[in-house]
Amino acid sequence: MSGNGKPRSTLSTDTFACVRCGLTVTAAAPDGARRNHCPSCLHSLHVLDRVEGGPSECRSRMIPISIAVLRTGDWMLIHRCTRCGELTSNPICGDDNQLILMRMAVRPLAQPPFPLEAFGDL
Amino acid sequence: MICDMPRRNPGRGERPQRRKVMVRHGERGDAFRCVGCRLDVPMSAPGTAHRNHCPHCLTSLHVDRRVPGDRRAGCRGRMAAFSVTVRPDGEWLIIHHCQSCDELSANRIAGDDNALALLRIAMRPLSAGGRLPATALLAL
Repeated sequence: MSGNGKPRSTLSTDTFACVRCGLTVTAAAPDGARRNHCPSCLHSLHVLDRVEGGPSECRSRMIPISIAVLRTGDWMLIHRCTRCGELTSNPICGDDNQLILMRMAVRPLAQPPFPLEAFGDL
Repeated sequence: MICDMPRRNPGRGERPQRRKVMVRHGERGDAFRCVGCRLDVPMSAPGTAHRNHCPHCLTSLHVDRRVPGDRRAGCRGRMAAFSVTVRPDGEWLIIHHCQSCDELSANRIAGDDNALALLRIAMRPLSAGGRLPATALLAL
């Protein structure tokens, strides 16, 4: 029990259900930060407006579209809203599905717009 | 002695300066100058009707807000190429990230974009500098 009479454990057992796969996920990631996407299918919910700031009334599903890398080497997950097309970037979590992350990282190289054989001569 | 040499144009009479033709620099004409590498880029691009990034360094300028072409953003910050994504039909999109206001936008690549610069961005997650999730590779 904490000082204000509420059990401290309620803070860490906060959960949400994923909009795509229905998995019940704890809201807190292993490192203590608040999650913003499902660790299993990496989908998210559009609840934050990035252009104007503050909450968004869209509340649609956001699908992961690509991986970006910061100068520090950390991977960022880029989501796009299926309804309004808004883009967001969020850091990946330690328990995110790494097979889906790797699949997104190599997808551009699997469908190149130009023949990659030409780069072998460089 | 150099200082004693006569000037090549000794005091010609006072003459008013010629009126110059004002040249407007900016994206009004059929070309723009890249904010990243200062390359002069023609607006006509192969494969797309709207050139929105430099074909050499892939840098863009933050002028549009929500709708492409609306020119409603007051930011005008430099947008660096952040990542590459693929549409379901196989077309590549560049994700641009505004360096001054943190906004993201997705833009189609053009036919004359620098292939080496595109490939460098696509390879960034897999290069040694990034923290590759090695456990995923071992699980394959």
